Amino acid sequence: MFKIKIAGINVLVHNKYKFSEYLCRDYLTDESHTDFSVCADEKEILLEIQETNAPINAEYAESVCIHRAIAEHLAEYDAFLLHSAFIECEGVGVAFAAKSGVGKSTHISIWQRVFGDKVRVINGDKPIVRLINGEFYGYGTPWLGKENIGKNGCCKLKALCFLNRGEKNAISTVSAETAAMMLFSQIYLPSIGENAAKTLELVDKFSSSVSFFKLYCNMQDEAAKVSHNAIIKGE
Amino acid sequence: MKIKNGFICRQVGGNNVVVATGAQSKIFNGVIKLNESGLVLWNKLLVGAEKNELVDALLSEYDVDRTVVEADVDKFLKELRDAGAIEE
Repeated sequence: MFKIKIAGINVLVHNKYKFSEYLCRDYLTDESHTDFSVCADEKEILLEIQETNAPINAEYAESVCIHRAIAEHLAEYDAFLLHSAFIECEGVGVAFAAKSGVGKSTHISIWQRVFGDKVRVINGDKPIVRLINGEFYGYGTPWLGKENIGKNGCCKLKALCFLNRGEKNAISTVSAETAAMMLFSQIYLPSIGENAAKTLELVDKFSSSVSFFKLYCNMQDEAAKVSHNAIIKGE
Repeated sequence: MKIKNGFICRQVGGNNVVVATGAQSKIFNGVIKLNESGLVLWNKLLVGAEKNELVDALLSEYDVDRTVVEADVDKFLKELRDAGAIEE
């Protein structure tokens, strides 16, 4: 059993395997207050192993189940899970979303190559988005994706950019209406009815508060320059 | 017929979207976007309605031929049935 603080929420985790605690090592807290607790039972872990396309062990499966159990509760704290790579650059938080395999990690690594220390990767795969006093913030989580990049931290989320592969680099803005529909494949919708409804309300607010972009990009430095110009500089 | 428990409709970014929650989300995990007339039908189905009532509801709002409306209602019901959202 251990306690973590993610997105400002204290979660007590009843684990069976040491890997889960190791994974969460940067998020451990000794605060006495607990917002909610989660656990993964043997049945769920077995199901996770069976339903994953790649061979995984029980330790890893437990960590995935814990992650999902946390995601189920986030709406109660005005938060949701956004499948994306979340970075901060010059004080601006930007999330890059794409289908698996399109190259979110590649694109943020180009940002790092071009802009160096100005770029901080908060989470490469599954950040939490939380509404606080009318503004959306992106938070790091222990679940970093296969490239394993990210650092405990948070930043105001100003823009979300949908990535697509292209031969040339081109960026355009996306309307809230279109973005809202595109967001559905990138968020975790809780199965608990009330929390699902609350998540939809949050996504509705999110779609009217954040700027959305659509980027076609290749793997050259210019890709990061084009997206940086539009998203950070607003040109 | 009516909408099954667990299916909800909300406005998200100006779109009327339908998703499944709870046990239903294990069966249907997509999103259905409703247009204006779809929303009229959805609201009728929330309390329960037969096909002819759905057709009448649209005919009272839109000046179109009955056969056209019937085809639209059939298409709409098929989409909801495919998602498992209808209780007959």
